Amino acid sequence: MNSAPVANGSNPGGAYNNQAARQDMEYLCADCGAKNEIRSREPIRCRECGHRIMYKKRTKRMVQFEAR
Amino acid sequence: MAVDHESEEDWQNAERTNWRGLTLTDPIKTIQDKWLLLPAFLKVKGLVKQHIDSFNYFVDVDIKNILKANNKVTSDVDPRFWLKYTDIHVAFPDRNEPSALDKQLTPHECRLRDITYSGQILVTIQYTRGKTIVRRANVCIGRLPIMLRSNKCVLTGRSEADLARMNECPLDPGGYFIVKGTEKVILVQEQLSKNRIIVEVDPVKAVVQASCTSSTHGGLKSKTYVATKKGKIYLRHNSIHEDVPIAIALKALGIQSDKEILLITAGNTEAYKATFSPNLEEAAKLGIFTQHQALEWIGSRVKVNRKVIGPRRPSWEEALEALATIVLAHVPVNGLDFRAKAIFVATMTRRVLMAMEDESMVDDRDYVGNKRLELAGQLLALLFEDLFKTFNTNLKSAIDKVLKKPSRTSEFDAFNTMQFQGDHITSGFVRAISTGNWSLKRFKMDRAGVTHVLSRLSFISALGMMTRISSQFEKTRKVSGPRALQPSQWGMLCPSDTPEGEACGLVKNLALMTHITTDVEEEPIIKIAFMLGVEDISLATGSEIYSPGTFVVNVNGSIIGLTRYPTRFVSSFRRLRRAGRFSEFVSVYINHHHRTVHIASDGGRICRPMIIVESGQPRVSSKHITQLKNGAINFDDFLHRGLVEYLDVNEENDSYIALYEQDIVASTTHLEIEPFTLLGAVAGLIPYPHHNQSPRNTYQCAMGKQAIGAIGYNQLNRIDTLLYLSVYPQQPMVKTKTIELIGYDRLPAGQNATVAVMSYSGYDIEDALILNKASLDRGYGRCQVLRKNATLLRKYPNGTFDRLADAPNDETGKMKKYDIIEEDGLAGVGERVDPGDIYINKQTPTNANDNSFTGQASTVPYKNAPMTYKSPVAGYIDKVMITDTENDQTLLKVLIRQTRRPELGDKFSSRHGQKGVCGLIVNQEDMPFNDQGIVPDTIMNPHGFPSRMTVGKMIELLAGKAGVLAGKLQYGTAFGGSKVEDMSRILIENGFSYAGKDMLTSGITGESMEAYVYFGPIYYQKLKHMVMDKMHARARGPRATLTRQPTEGRSREGGLRLGEMERDCLIGYGATQLLLERLMISSDKFEVNACQECGLMGYNGWCPYCKSSKKMSQLTIPYAAKLLFQELMAMNVIPRLVLDDA
Repeated sequence: MNSAPVANGSNPGGAYNNQAARQDMEYLCADCGAKNEIRSREPIRCRECGHRIMYKKRTKRMVQFEAR
Repeated sequence: MAVDHESEEDWQNAERTNWRGLTLTDPIKTIQDKWLLLPAFLKVKGLVKQHIDSFNYFVDVDIKNILKANNKVTSDVDPRFWLKYTDIHVAFPDRNEPSALDKQLTPHECRLRDITYSGQILVTIQYTRGKTIVRRANVCIGRLPIMLRSNKCVLTGRSEADLARMNECPLDPGGYFIVKGTEKVILVQEQLSKNRIIVEVDPVKAVVQASCTSSTHGGLKSKTYVATKKGKIYLRHNSIHEDVPIAIALKALGIQSDKEILLITAGNTEAYKATFSPNLEEAAKLGIFTQHQALEWIGSRVKVNRKVIGPRRPSWEEALEALATIVLAHVPVNGLDFRAKAIFVATMTRRVLMAMEDESMVDDRDYVGNKRLELAGQLLALLFEDLFKTFNTNLKSAIDKVLKKPSRTSEFDAFNTMQFQGDHITSGFVRAISTGNWSLKRFKMDRAGVTHVLSRLSFISALGMMTRISSQFEKTRKVSGPRALQPSQWGMLCPSDTPEGEACGLVKNLALMTHITTDVEEEPIIKIAFMLGVEDISLATGSEIYSPGTFVVNVNGSIIGLTRYPTRFVSSFRRLRRAGRFSEFVSVYINHHHRTVHIASDGGRICRPMIIVESGQPRVSSKHITQLKNGAINFDDFLHRGLVEYLDVNEENDSYIALYEQDIVASTTHLEIEPFTLLGAVAGLIPYPHHNQSPRNTYQCAMGKQAIGAIGYNQLNRIDTLLYLSVYPQQPMVKTKTIELIGYDRLPAGQNATVAVMSYSGYDIEDALILNKASLDRGYGRCQVLRKNATLLRKYPNGTFDRLADAPNDETGKMKKYDIIEEDGLAGVGERVDPGDIYINKQTPTNANDNSFTGQASTVPYKNAPMTYKSPVAGYIDKVMITDTENDQTLLKVLIRQTRRPELGDKFSSRHGQKGVCGLIVNQEDMPFNDQGIVPDTIMNPHGFPSRMTVGKMIELLAGKAGVLAGKLQYGTAFGGSKVEDMSRILIENGFSYAGKDMLTSGITGESMEAYVYFGPIYYQKLKHMVMDKMHARARGPRATLTRQPTEGRSREGGLRLGEMERDCLIGYGATQLLLERLMISSDKFEVNACQECGLMGYNGWCPYCKSSKKMSQLTIPYAAKLLFQELMAMNVIPRLVLDDA
């Protein structure tokens, strides 16, 4: 979410090494369901309806459940 | 002959005549389905409606009165300046952001975004700007949190579809507030009624006292006593140093002659005269004969707490003011006419005299009619008045500050000053509701714990919270009176629903069909009373007031007049009420003991509706019920047509109420609508509660609130701190009418388990249950636990900010604990979280609190501040929500879900206060089965029945079994419900034993059981206490830094304490080495060097006190002991170690 500079020497852990992948992060508006991108330090607001709540989309990775 | 013939024909006709489909011999018709009035009632009133009505009253009426009382702001500097408030109203909740497109705010959004559901308080002002008068409408002075489902809430009057669109549950009761994202309830507070005389006796000190707490609207509260002291009567008040002899008090109030005093207090009763005469003597002894002398006497004893401006007033004037405004402030004094107040004091005196003569004339403080319930609206009104007054003084001083300056560039506009007043009112409301501290110095009020977080454990717990009443009595006092069940609670407060333990009987719950009144204007009521022939009290003397057959008429505690025909007066008053000439909540009743008629229109009385019976006939007939069924009329029509009326506790006590229609006799005045409404909403879930031992119903009331089930239609959209949900909830086979009315059948919390009442394996002793493993596999008792994990991405004052970072790489690639973190630094939705995994990879700047930092925010170094999953069992990311709060901080909420199947030690309970833990999970093949192959889900030990006497549970099983076989739901409504005989018949018709017992075959041996087993469905609830959340063990682990002893508590991975009593056992047994090991070696052993010379502790074999290393020795003591020695030394106490050979 934050566009911190990529390589900061004192950074523990990476802060966004993968710029390309980041562009694809999409969030869904809780009200109208429109796809939105969230930029750092910009208010969170849906482009379509102006709603202030976003949900993260479900992961694209496979999830295996243990049926018990 | 002709006559004979005719009469014969008559008889034949009588047999035949069809009068509305009936013949003479048919049974007399009763009102069928009169219980249908109940759902009709619940549509307009009841359950949480009192909260909402009270809030509506505040927002629509009371707030305007408060404004009117404080409507002018003037300036000390410029006498020409004034500012007047002319109108006030509260707007619908809106988004507090100027840039918002859609201003409408839904409660659900407030919950998710941690903001307050509040609307603007808008006033219309008029003020002077230079020489012109300016009027401005809709000036916002602050924001008021809005009660859900009130007049000002967006949810009111919406259809289910609309509510669904707003993510709101149609069954949610409302009546609470949302403040900073948490749901807060202002509980109903119980108090002794104001402005009424209460006579008490202290048997130890032989003191009789009549007390009266006066409270005027927006005024101060003060308590006045008329009490005996050494056989004489005195008036006592906080504002007077000394007790005033009653004769002096009455003389000061303008009743000068002794004859008149005697007449107005003792009347013509010889006994009272004799008891009272010493008081007259006392006044004479003190040399006080005239009003002026009496005022002088009192005036020199009045506490003056006022800044002295100007010359000192003579003391008689002080007395006059104190008597007019402070003592018994609620009795009006017009001009200097003290007559009404004198009569009030005299009445108090007479009540004391009566109680001295006859012990039974004392009042009962615990009588529900002497109580008033304070609701959200009243508390908010007080708070608003306080905040508004402060707002006005602040505004005034700000205006003065501007006006003080001699010259201005532009004309002074008070509106601008008003805009800069800050959010005093807004923050005042938010603070009070979110902390629950109502501390209003202005009204001498300091209460904590007024609000509570709405418990969302289950639907029932939320509903139960809305009907709860908390009492002001201290819990520590050992008096049983306030805790005991009062006969006058009948139908008003639930007899079953109260907590066990210290709050028992002090916390109560409203019954199903109650309503709490709001204030009704009393002037019109007084006018009506005079119109009906009441004679003004100020025209009467003692001989009239106390003459036999004369009744004193009181309106809200103040005496207004006399009537000689009380019965006629009361009945015509009631007739006017039934005709709808004034509010249906005004009550009137005769008190024959005191020979008074009381009219009450004040708020906070509990009342409930009843069917009116006139000349032995209930006014409600089947015709009305049919109309009700068709929707042609509603409950209000019943009220307006005088078929049904509300009775408060006092009027109920003055009525003759038939429980059932067949009990109606000539003197009956009312008929109960339904007997089961005497229970509350929570106790209403119990099937056949009238067959249970009463404490069992109380236990169930506590447990029903812990049951895991559905909590609302919007449960999956909510993000609560902790949410327990049942995966497959079922509505109970045996319902009650209450269940249908409150919607428990649509939001159930439990499952219908097939129960075999038999013993099995020995793992079922002490109420343990045996569960069928196959049932668990099919989803019995399965629940989900959703936990919220929230964090803020903060922006710091120095320009730096928190950020999210993607997963870092080490040599092998992505680290395991970062596995589920995606590029945005948040865990992927739907991913499994294992213990130790990171789901929010947050980083904070290292210099966040350094306010001198001025550099580029993007260049600062960051440190990791991730959120790690701590539970020992894996969960799944259910939701990741990103939003902004009101002050533009990014708020992240991650909802993590666990699905749990029942395990050994999980707690279950039926609806009859019979709780138990799972003792054993058995494979289906080992469970017993009947000839149809039905295998129980649960086996319950029969030893649970004899001592508990929960016959209701047995009948529930029978009714449930019949219901299953017939494919119908059965009713277990209190004082009614499906009959055992009918249930047995259904069982027989379906080829089962009428007793509900089946022949079972053992799953282990394959042999038939030797006894028949009581077998059938019982509704079982899974309670929130689960082993997974409680189990804990530790060998080695963390220690507290200060004492170096193991930490305490499961959350800190603490040790298991060997407490005092356990220690005593070991001492008694003499196991010294074990003691030493447990208390020191495995806890906080510590090696110290001690000097044998001085007995102090040193280090490294050196005594710094003796400056020597000669006599040092090393020993092991608990670190806590060493700490104690050092702490003592810090307090100038030397503990010396005297060493000896061991």
